[in-house]
Order: sequence, then structure tokens, then C-alpha cells
Amino acid sequence: MAKLYAQTVPPPDLNKNTEWFMYPGVWTTYIFIIFFTWLTVLSVFGCTPGMAWTIVNLTHFAVTYYFFHWKKGTPFAEDQGIYNRLTWWEQIDNGKQLTDNRKFLTVLPVVLYLIASHTTDYQHPMLFFNTLAVIVLVIAKFPNMHKVRIFGINSGH
Amino acid sequence: MVRLPYLTALTTLFSYGLLFAFGQMRDFFRKILDLWKSKNLQGYAPICLGLEDFYTRRLYLRIQDCFNRPIASAPDAWIDVVERYSKDSNKTLHRTSKINKCLNLGSYNYLGFAAADEYCTPRVIESLKQYSPSTCSARVDGGTTKLHAELEEVVARFVRKPAAILFGMGYATNSAIIPALIGKGGLIISDSLNHNSIVNGARGSGATVRVFQHNSAAHLEEVLREQIAEGQPRTHRPWKKIIVIIEGIYSMEGELCKLPEIIAVCKKYKAYTYLDEAHSIGAIGKSGRGVCELLGVDTADMDIMMGTFTKSFGSCGGYIAASKEIIQHLKNTCPAHFYATSMSPPAAQQVISAIKVVLGEDGSNRGAQKLAQIRDNSNFFRSELHKMGFEVLGDKDSPVMPIMLYNPAKIPAFSRECLRRNLAVVTVAFPATPLLLARARICISASHTREDMIKALEVISKVGDLVGIKYFPVEPQKHLTDKIQKKLE
Repeated sequence: MAKLYAQTVPPPDLNKNTEWFMYPGVWTTYIFIIFFTWLTVLSVFGCTPGMAWTIVNLTHFAVTYYFFHWKKGTPFAEDQGIYNRLTWWEQIDNGKQLTDNRKFLTVLPVVLYLIASHTTDYQHPMLFFNTLAVIVLVIAKFPNMHKVRIFGINSGH
Repeated sequence: MVRLPYLTALTTLFSYGLLFAFGQMRDFFRKILDLWKSKNLQGYAPICLGLEDFYTRRLYLRIQDCFNRPIASAPDAWIDVVERYSKDSNKTLHRTSKINKCLNLGSYNYLGFAAADEYCTPRVIESLKQYSPSTCSARVDGGTTKLHAELEEVVARFVRKPAAILFGMGYATNSAIIPALIGKGGLIISDSLNHNSIVNGARGSGATVRVFQHNSAAHLEEVLREQIAEGQPRTHRPWKKIIVIIEGIYSMEGELCKLPEIIAVCKKYKAYTYLDEAHSIGAIGKSGRGVCELLGVDTADMDIMMGTFTKSFGSCGGYIAASKEIIQHLKNTCPAHFYATSMSPPAAQQVISAIKVVLGEDGSNRGAQKLAQIRDNSNFFRSELHKMGFEVLGDKDSPVMPIMLYNPAKIPAFSRECLRRNLAVVTVAFPATPLLLARARICISASHTREDMIKALEVISKVGDLVGIKYFPVEPQKHLTDKIQKKLE
């Protein structure tokens, strides 16, 4: 295989918590991690492929909801806490809405939902949990939900 | 411009993801275990929230032995590194009394003034006996000696500006001067890869800060046009003043700034320019006068030129050179002039002597020799590294050359393997550089001889094969490199 090189001029993003997402290879790595998790779940639990996709979908929901939409601030003290009230989703791309990164991350849960529900043949109760996961994730990524805290959940610290 | 193999980008992201996952898992278990331990905070708030120092605790501490290495000699071409050991996997490190003599590729010793010099050291010892190590006072009270006045004149003459002012610390020069020059209602446009001292000074000034893409005069023009048209945020009044801050040599990339284009853009839109020559003063240019001389820019076009004495002159401290009015204003308003202790007199004498050697005023041509030596050394080293297949950043003639490592695991691997073979290098990772672009930064000095550099190249080549960082293999030239090495030996 010929050596593939990626070339890019990274846009200036001062937020060290999110600037790593603007580099080449991030989307591919994300998709690979999900795929390998599915393989791992299949081999560890020995369940049907559909069940494995459901488990991956729900784990993906829990992990991405926690890290993208619940945890606020950055793991660095040097930015002096200016992002302490913003979740990771609100920080990426400097807060600009509807960028390529955001569109990719919004489409991904939907694709996972379609795969999970198709491979389980749309049976209950998996369908219910998958639908719940995709609704919550996609609504959380709408531009209108920028900095919105429903019922004050997760607003203070 | 970032260029890396696609597979490397994927594996680097995956490695960081794995490190992050393990760190989170450890934090999770630590939180559970701490539930049982009694909290002895006695009602006080914790100093840092759990998330803030995550990177330091879970990533940096694991490879802590690659940083902060204590040394036991002057940072000349060869340096004594103190060995350390750790009993709790790098959480705490203990010094031993054993010393490792290593080839020094990490110190900013561009002209070789870091060790004892035949012209500078006797004069420095003289001034130490006469003026004592510290002035024990701020410049404004009792801290201005004859040496300080002489050094200000010498620096202004060297840099080709009307006047100069000195400070005891290079970092403090930037972070204390920028707030004195601009305040709320002003606009600072700084290069995206500017040093932390500039970022801190810009934040502390209260002015609005905008960033333009590294070294791109086109993007700077775009940002300037947008900002001038919009005016201040919310009120849309015109900006009180606009300062564009750039560096001569960027310390993490080793590349020169595109000075003529950027100055042309700034003059067109009437913005002030501030040039930070920390790494380029004394090291580049035909007579060592920095990036303005190298690129043929008239110093009258730069409004403020800043530099440090740490890199090329073997001393410590910083200076600002500008017009007489600006320097007078700074002397009346800058807090680092009023309240900070003035530069140590022997350090000032070291700079005076070093500049005299560079200019040839000591009666010998050692200055010109050193400048030619560092230029030849840098070009030789960089071209050899290129031939071996490493990815080396930086322009021709620049004495700073970062070798790209990318993967987080290669940082401690490269550093430790080099130390084992008696080569001291500095590795830099996130957050000083972008996440994917970890690197080992090599600083070449005029005091490195050809044999030193060939030995260093052999070690780096061997370690590079072990660690796997030769990303751009240039196969046909390999036997040519062997031929050249045999000829030189």
C-alpha cells in the first residue's frame, strides 16, 4: 500500500481541549474505535451481532453523553477557567454551529441507531432503548440547545 | 503546514484515547477509594477540581523523568546530567550522586557563550567583585548601575534602534511590557504559535486578542480588515490602537517568520508591530543582528523589538528596543521597571562582553567565526537528518530543529534511549505543542564540533530506527550518506 500522507493547515483554535479534533484522521479513528468495540463485545459476550450493536449503541450513548454534554470545563488549569461553564460540545469549533465536525458527530448516532435497530429486526425492548438513545443524543446536538440547561440540570458547580 | 503519515495520525489519536481512558478509569477508582478515607479539608475548598489537573496527574507524571532533569555543570557542548531513580513509578524522583556526561543538544547555547569564555569570563568576575551579584533594588530606586546604562546603549546600537530598556527576566519582559503598551479598547493580533509569555501579557493587558494563522500574511490581512471594519466589541467604536505581535524564530517550529510580507500588511493598515526576537537575536543574520538583518527589513519599520539575553549571549534577562519616546514612556509606566529587581550586574557585563565579541570590538574575529560556525553547523545537521529520513521542521540557517515524534509513547522512548547513549535532548509534548505533533527539539550551538555532531547523528539514527520515527525514508541516498560520513571521519 502506498504511503498515504495527510496535509493540512490547522485553523487557530486556542482551546487546547478541543483543538485536537480539527486534525486529520479523527473521524476515521472514531469509526474504527466503534467498530473494534463491536468486535470486542461480540467476542466477550458471545451474543448475536444485533445484541452487540445494541450494546455498542447504548455504551456509545452513555460515554458520549457524559463526555460531550455533561462534563464541563477543560482538563487544563492554564486557561484559567474561561470554559468552566461550557460542555465539550459547546466548546468545539470555538462555539460555531453547523460546522463539518458537528454535522459528522450528529449523523453518527443516527447511523449507529439504524445499524442497531436493523440488526435486531426492530424487536422490543432493544428498539425502545436505541430510540431513546438517539433522540437524546440528537436533540442535545441541535444548535438551539447551545448553552441551554433544561430544568437547571448541570448548570451549577 | 502539518504533514504526517495518515496511519500515524490514526495511531496517535488512538494512543491518546487509550491514555485518556486509563486515566479516567484510575480517577474513577481513586474517587471510590477516597470515599472511605476521611477528608481532612476542615471546611476549606479543595485547591483544584479533579478535572483541572487531569493531564498533569495521569499523563505527564508517567513520563516525568524525561523533563526537569537536573544538571551539574555549565550547559556547554557537553553537559553533566544528574541521574535520578524512582521507587513509585515516576510519582517522585530522587537524585543520586552519579553524573552522566552527555552531549548537549537541548540548551539554548547558540553562540557558545554558556561556558567560560576567554574574553567574557574575566570581565564578568571583575564586575562581580566590583558590583556584587545583585543590585538589591529596583531600577528606579538604587538599581541602575553604570553597567545597566552601558548595556542599554550597547543593545540599542546592536539592534539598530534609538534606545533600549532592560529587564531581569525574559518572560517577565513580555508579560509586563504588553500591558504597559496597550489596554482596554485596544486590539492585539498575535500569531497562533506565539510563546506563552506573549499570551500571558496579552491576557493581562485587558485588550481584545485575536489570533491569525501562523505566518500567513494573507490571513493577517483578513483579520485586520474584519476587525477594523467591526471596531470594538459591542460598541463598534474604532480601536484605540492595534498591535501585531510576531516572533523572529518560533521556538517550537524552528522556522523564521515571513517578516517583509507581514510588515507590508501592517503598514498598509497602520497597525503597530512588536517583534519578539528571543531565539533569533545573535544567532542569525550576517553580523548576528537577528531576523531583520537576515531578511533585509529596515529596523525603522518595526515599532518595538524585544529580545532576551538567555539564548545567544549566555546571560539572563530581556530587553525592549524602540524609539526614544516609547522607551521613555515605558520607563515611566512599566511595573517591571519600577518594582522588579534590576538585572544582575555580572549578567549585564556578560551581555556587554558577548555583544562586543559578536561585533568584533574585542579585537579578534571570534564573533564572525562563531556566527559562521553556527550557520554551518545548523545547515549540516539539518541536511543530514533529512537524508536519514527524519521529519525535521524549520528553515535553512535556523539553529532550532524539531524532529517530529507524533505518538505519545515515542516521547519517553526517544528521550530515555538517547540518555542511555549519552545524548541529552529535550522532548516537547502537549500542551506546549498541538496534540498530534509531539517533537524532540534540537538546539545546535557554535561550540559543537564536527565530531560531536557526527556522533550525535549516529546516536539519533540508531534511536530513530529503534523508536520508528523515520517517516520519510529516502532510500537511494542512503549509501551517499555513508560515503559522506566515511569521508568526514
